Amino acid sequence: MSMKTNTQLIVGVGNSGTTVLDRLAAEHPGIRSLLVVNNDSESLASSLVSDRLNVPEGDPGDGFRAIDPEFCKRIEGVSVVLLCAGLGGATASFLLPALATLAKASGMTVLASVGMPFAFEGRQKRDLAAVALKKLQSVCDAVSVIDNDLFSGGVPSTAPVGEAFKMADIALLASLTSLLGMLSTSGPVRITRSDIVSVLGGHAASSRFGFGSAMGSNRLHEALEAALKSPLFSAQGKTNALRDTTKAILFLSGPSDVSFAEVQLAVAEIERLTGEGCQVKVGVAAEAPLGTPLKLFVMMTSASASSPASVAPTLELQNSVEPVAAIPSKKQEQPTLKPKVVKPAVKGPTKPTQGVLELDAIFKGRFDKSEPTIVEGEDLDVPTFLRKGIKLSSPKK
Amino acid sequence: MARDQIYVGLEIGTTKICVVVSEGKADGTINILGVGETPSRGVRKGEIVDFATVTECVREALLDAEDKTNVEIGNVWVAISGSHLRSFNNRGTVMIPEERDVITEEDLESVETNAKEVSLPSQNIFLHTILQGYHVDGRRDVIDPIRMECRVLEADYHIVHGIQTRINNTLRCVESLKLGIEDVVLSSLASAQVVITQQQKDLGVLVIDIGGGTTDYLVYLDGAVRHTGVLPLGGDHITNDISIGLKLPMQRAELIKIQEGSADDPIGSQGGFITIKNDPGFLGCEIDRISLQTIIHLRVREIFELIRRDMDAGAEGALGLMGAGVVITGGSAGLRGIASVAEDVFGTSVELTKSREIGGATQIFENPRFSTAIGLTKYAMAVSANTPEPGFLEKITDGLGGIFKRSSR
Repeated sequence: MSMKTNTQLIVGVGNSGTTVLDRLAAEHPGIRSLLVVNNDSESLASSLVSDRLNVPEGDPGDGFRAIDPEFCKRIEGVSVVLLCAGLGGATASFLLPALATLAKASGMTVLASVGMPFAFEGRQKRDLAAVALKKLQSVCDAVSVIDNDLFSGGVPSTAPVGEAFKMADIALLASLTSLLGMLSTSGPVRITRSDIVSVLGGHAASSRFGFGSAMGSNRLHEALEAALKSPLFSAQGKTNALRDTTKAILFLSGPSDVSFAEVQLAVAEIERLTGEGCQVKVGVAAEAPLGTPLKLFVMMTSASASSPASVAPTLELQNSVEPVAAIPSKKQEQPTLKPKVVKPAVKGPTKPTQGVLELDAIFKGRFDKSEPTIVEGEDLDVPTFLRKGIKLSSPKK
Repeated sequence: MARDQIYVGLEIGTTKICVVVSEGKADGTINILGVGETPSRGVRKGEIVDFATVTECVREALLDAEDKTNVEIGNVWVAISGSHLRSFNNRGTVMIPEERDVITEEDLESVETNAKEVSLPSQNIFLHTILQGYHVDGRRDVIDPIRMECRVLEADYHIVHGIQTRINNTLRCVESLKLGIEDVVLSSLASAQVVITQQQKDLGVLVIDIGGGTTDYLVYLDGAVRHTGVLPLGGDHITNDISIGLKLPMQRAELIKIQEGSADDPIGSQGGFITIKNDPGFLGCEIDRISLQTIIHLRVREIFELIRRDMDAGAEGALGLMGAGVVITGGSAGLRGIASVAEDVFGTSVELTKSREIGGATQIFENPRFSTAIGLTKYAMAVSANTPEPGFLEKITDGLGGIFKRSSR
C-alpha cells in the first residue's frame, strides 16, 4: 500500500459544482488538483477545469457505476477530498453522497461544501436536497451547508433570478476557498483538519459564514464588520440569531504584522456575539507581504431546529444506508417524502425583516465609518426603529 | 489639606470639551470659578479618533477657561469614558502574621494588591480599585480596620480597567499641551460626586449620565460602588436616528431633537406635524411628530434596557435594592419624557438632576451637561486632602463611598 501524501482533490459535481470550480480556477490559477463531474457534456466542454469526468445521462446509478473506476484512479494518493455542489438537482444529489462514500471507504478525509436550493426552486428539489444532505453528513467528516434562502437576503428583490444563483455560487466558492485556505496554511496558529471536522462535523450542523478584508489602522474592525454583514449571519433581521451558535471558526490571514492584539480582539468579539457556550477555533496565517489586506473569515455552526440540516431527519427515507436507494427514481420518490417543513430558515412571525437587512448595511449615518457597536449580536449604530422594522411617515415637502 | 486650592477638571466629550475651574475651600465646600467650553471634534463614542483636532479643541477650551477665570492652568484631572472600560467586583484576603495581632497600613495595601491579582486582558490596565468594605475575621462592614485585632483581613473592591492605548491617547493629548495630569477618573464616578447625596448612596442608587457619545452608569449600594458600565450610545445616536428616519441633515436633526423632541411613548400621543422652514441648501418640509417621538422613544428605551440587562448580569438583585431609585444627568438628561421611559424600564422612581452643594454661577452647576467636569473637581479636592480636619475624613469618606483608599492606574 502506498503511503498517502498530504494532498487535496477538489471535486465539483453537477452544474453548480462545475461553475464554482470554474470560478476557483479563474481566480486561483495555481490550484491544479481540480476535478469536475457532470452529466451535462456542454457544461463540461466549456469548463476551465481540464480534468473532467463525463457522467452518462440517464439513471444516476448507472452513471455512477460508469465513472466509479475513473474516480477511484483520480483519488489515488490523495489524503483530503473536498466535494462541492449545489444540492437539489438529480445529478449532484445522487452523485455527491456516492462519491463521498467511495472516498471515505478509501480512508480519506472527506469534506463537503454544499448549497441548499432556494425555496422558489420548488419543494421537490428541497426534499431531494434534504435527503442527499442527510446521507452526505453521515458519510463525510465535515459538511459546510449554505442555505440559499438565507443568502438571498443579500440579493435585491428586483434583481434578476440569475443574480440569485450567481450569489449562491459565490457563497459556495467562498466557503470552499476558506476551507482550502485553512487546510493549506502553515501559519503560527493553525486550523487543523480535526478542528474543521469538530466544527462542521455531525448531523445537526448548518453553517453560516462571512468574510471581510481591510487595510489600514482600523483593519480588524473593518474586516470584522464586513464579515458580520454577511446575509447568512443577519438573515433574521438582526445578528443576535448567532446566540445559538455552538461552534465557530475564526480564520485570519494577511501580512506578517497581524498582531496578537488583533487576534485577541477578533476572538473577543466573536465570543461576545455567540455567547458563552460557543467553542471558537482560531487560525492565523500571517505570511503575506506587508501592505496586503487583512482577511478575516468567520464560520459558525449551530444546532438550530430551523437549520436545513435538521430538517432532513423529518423526511422518511426508504433506505438510509445505500446511496443508490436513498435517491429513488423520480416516479417512486414522491410518496415516500413527508415534507413537513418547507422553509426551514424562517422562524417566528413572518415580518418583512428583509427590508431591515438591506438598511442595516447602508443606513448608519454618521456611524458608517465608526467602530461598530455590537451588543448581543446587534449593531446598535443602526437606528433602533430600523432594527425593529418600524415604519415611519415620510416628511412632506 | 491645601487651603483654597484650585482644581481643574477636563472632560473630553463627544459633543463638547469642557474645562471646569473650581476653588476648594478650607471648609470642604467647592466654588466654581468658571467653565471653558468648545464644541468637540474628533471624538466618537467618547474616544479620540482624530488626535490633532481634539488636541486643538482642548487647547481652545483651556484658553477659554483661563480667560474666564483668570487662572493659569497647569494641572488637570481628566475624565475618561469609552466602551473599552470594563469592571468587576473582587475580594482580597490576607492573613495577619501571628507575631502581631493588629492590622496595619501595610496589611491594607496587601489586601488591595491581593484583590488586584486577577488576570486582565494583556492590553488592559487598572483604572480604579474602589474599596467597598472590609471584613475582619468575617465581620462585615468594618469602616476603618487599622489597629483592630485580626487573623484574616478581607476587603471587597470594585475594579475598573480599560485598554491602555486608548487611555494613553487621552493622556498624550493633554500632555502635548504641556499640562500635568493629576489623575484619570471614570466619568460616571466623577459625575456621581456632585449629582447624588450620601443618603442616596446609602439607600442605593443608579446614576446614569447620558452624554453625546456614551452613556455612563454607576450603582451605589450601602454607600459603596457596586457596578459601573459604559455604553457607547448617547445623544448622538438619537440625532443620527432622527437624521436617517426623517431624512434631515444632522444639524437640523439636532435642533429638532432639542426643540421638539420627546422620549415619551408615542402611543396615545396627539400627533400633528412640525414645520421645518426652508434654508439655503435645504428645502423645508413637514415632519410627523409621532414619527419623531417614535424614533427617540425607541432609542432611549433601548439604552435603558441595555443598562438594566447589564445590571441584571453584573449587579444581580441591585435593582430591587435601590431605595433612592435612578438619577439621570448628562447633556441628554434634558430630553423631554426621558424620566418616564426610565421609570417604565427600571420600575422605580427617577430623578433628573444636576450638581448639588456647589457654589458659583448657578447657570453652570445647574446644567447637567457639566456634571462630569464639576464632579472631577470635587473628586480632586477630596483626593488631595492630606491632613483632614477632625470630622472631615468621615465626611469625604462617606461622601465618596470610601474610594480614597483606592489606588488608580
